[in-house]
Amino acid sequence: MSAPLEEKVEQRTRPTLEELKERKARNRQRVSDNAEVMTISMGPHHPSTHGVFRMDLDLDGEVIVDVRPEVGNLHRGMEKLAESKTYHQIIPLTDRLHYVVSFSQNEGYCEAVEKLMGIEVPERAKYIRSMCHEMCRIANHIIWLGFLVMDLGAITFQQITFREREYIMDLWEMLTGARLTHSFARIGGVAKDIPDGFREKMAAALEVIPKRMAEYDRLIRNNRIFLARGKDVGIFTSEDCAAWRVTGPTLRAAGCPRDLRKDEPFAAYDQLDFNVCVEYEADVIARYVLRMNEIYESIKIIKQCLDEMPDGPVIAEDAFHVIPPKKDVLRSSAAMIQDFVQVFRGPQVPKGEVYKAVETSQGELAFYIVSDGSPKPQRLRITTPCFYHCQAMQPLLQGEMLADIVGIFCGVDVCLGSCDR
Amino acid sequence: MGLIDIIKKATFFEILQGMSVTGKYAASKKFTIEYPKEKSIPYPRFRGSQALLADPVTGELNCDACHLCETICPSQCITIESSETPDGKKSLDEFTIDLSRCVFCGFCEEVCPRAAIVMTANYELASYDKRDFILTKEWLIANAVHAHKELKGR
Ligand code: SF4
Ligand code: SF4
Repeated sequence: MSAPLEEKVEQRTRPTLEELKERKARNRQRVSDNAEVMTISMGPHHPSTHGVFRMDLDLDGEVIVDVRPEVGNLHRGMEKLAESKTYHQIIPLTDRLHYVVSFSQNEGYCEAVEKLMGIEVPERAKYIRSMCHEMCRIANHIIWLGFLVMDLGAITFQQITFREREYIMDLWEMLTGARLTHSFARIGGVAKDIPDGFREKMAAALEVIPKRMAEYDRLIRNNRIFLARGKDVGIFTSEDCAAWRVTGPTLRAAGCPRDLRKDEPFAAYDQLDFNVCVEYEADVIARYVLRMNEIYESIKIIKQCLDEMPDGPVIAEDAFHVIPPKKDVLRSSAAMIQDFVQVFRGPQVPKGEVYKAVETSQGELAFYIVSDGSPKPQRLRITTPCFYHCQAMQPLLQGEMLADIVGIFCGVDVCLGSCDR
Repeated sequence: MGLIDIIKKATFFEILQGMSVTGKYAASKKFTIEYPKEKSIPYPRFRGSQALLADPVTGELNCDACHLCETICPSQCITIESSETPDGKKSLDEFTIDLSRCVFCGFCEEVCPRAAIVMTANYELASYDKRDFILTKEWLIANAVHAHKELKGR
């Protein structure tokens, strides 16, 4: 177990739910009853909407009276497309949900399929999966920070956070062969074992990242502009989160320690030792502090994964559901036959329905599969956290100021690719 | 507001703090590379454009037209035409990859039972002409010079 990291950002005050509600009500009071409403459209290609997202804003002066979020500009028909592909072929599709945390989507999908088919994943693959989840989380939180600070006015910050993300990107390239669309998880395990030299590179990256994060924290934490634009802005209490199905860091920043990694462990999380970070102020700065602490926690998890990873295969030996590893295909004829059967016929799937949710860096990502026994899913439903974050824009933004939209929108971390599917 | 806060505000402490970081990085080593002059070297698992490998001794293509890669390809961008030779073997007539549809998932390489198709280190694929994205058999054979040194088992 690694020593606790000194850099960890200290917790802020701990208001009760009533106090938070009061603060939110104070913001809401800005909306007067006899408001002169002007409706303007923000987006779909506004630079701060991180994709293509449109909001119709009802404004009274600079105060937001009402918001109508419009999603669907990036709709690619993924769920329908998946119905025409075998279970193996859907994996690259899931990459394209959210291009920053591709692996988490791959893995979530594979978990669901494995639950449907009843496949036991080898231990080593589970540890690799957990490690990759945390790499996703670090990369995502780092660029989230960059975008947040950029949206609040400091453009160079976004560029320097991309530098830290580059360490993770290099590791991805080394491990999976691609920088963004990894397609790395497979039904029954992961595609490849960790390569030579990976551990050293990872150790070097994990050495640098906390130092840089501490540096950023020193830069922005006491910055007057950052505090003024983040404190008590965009308050979203745990009650609101429950009502609007907002999960992930936004929920944990409102004081609710809900984390699927602990609550319904997947991959190897039941064997790993980590804490769920919680913040209590439920505003933009609380979300920032929470994410920074999660990065430190992720680093701890990755170190543990690499240390405790058992030896063994990285993909299940299962002739009916799994494409065998390439080195076996080249050597044994049984594996070659399995390869042919899996490609031409597809996996053998029982009839049934399955629901599986995993915790990605945005929140709960769930896959719901209905199978009619054929090698293609009858229906694949993807429930992404970002969709619910978009719909929560209305209660989040009411009573806030026009200039705070970008900060709040970025603060809950929305990816439109994942929202529209 | 305490005295310290007043001093901080009067001296623009945050700006000075920020500028000190700027100064530090202005003097340190560059993190980026100047792309067309310098090229980044991909890792051995990198998935660039495909190549068809030939047997180093006989010079014959490894591919025996089994159509596995064509079947698994999620974006259906591989087209294979094969015929049977008089002695009962399959021969590969046409092998086309539509690169504009390829998602670089590497599945074609992964399922190939003969290690005939591989993903290479070639990432400079931009073109002004759409027709350049239709990779013919000849192009794919020539692209084997970019193939990664070691054959990747997983
Ligand atoms: S990399 Fe994927 S999309 Fe491209 S040709 Fe191969 S299987 Fe098809
Ligand atoms: S899978 Fe390999 S051997 Fe079969 S057709 Fe494709 S390249 Fe040729």
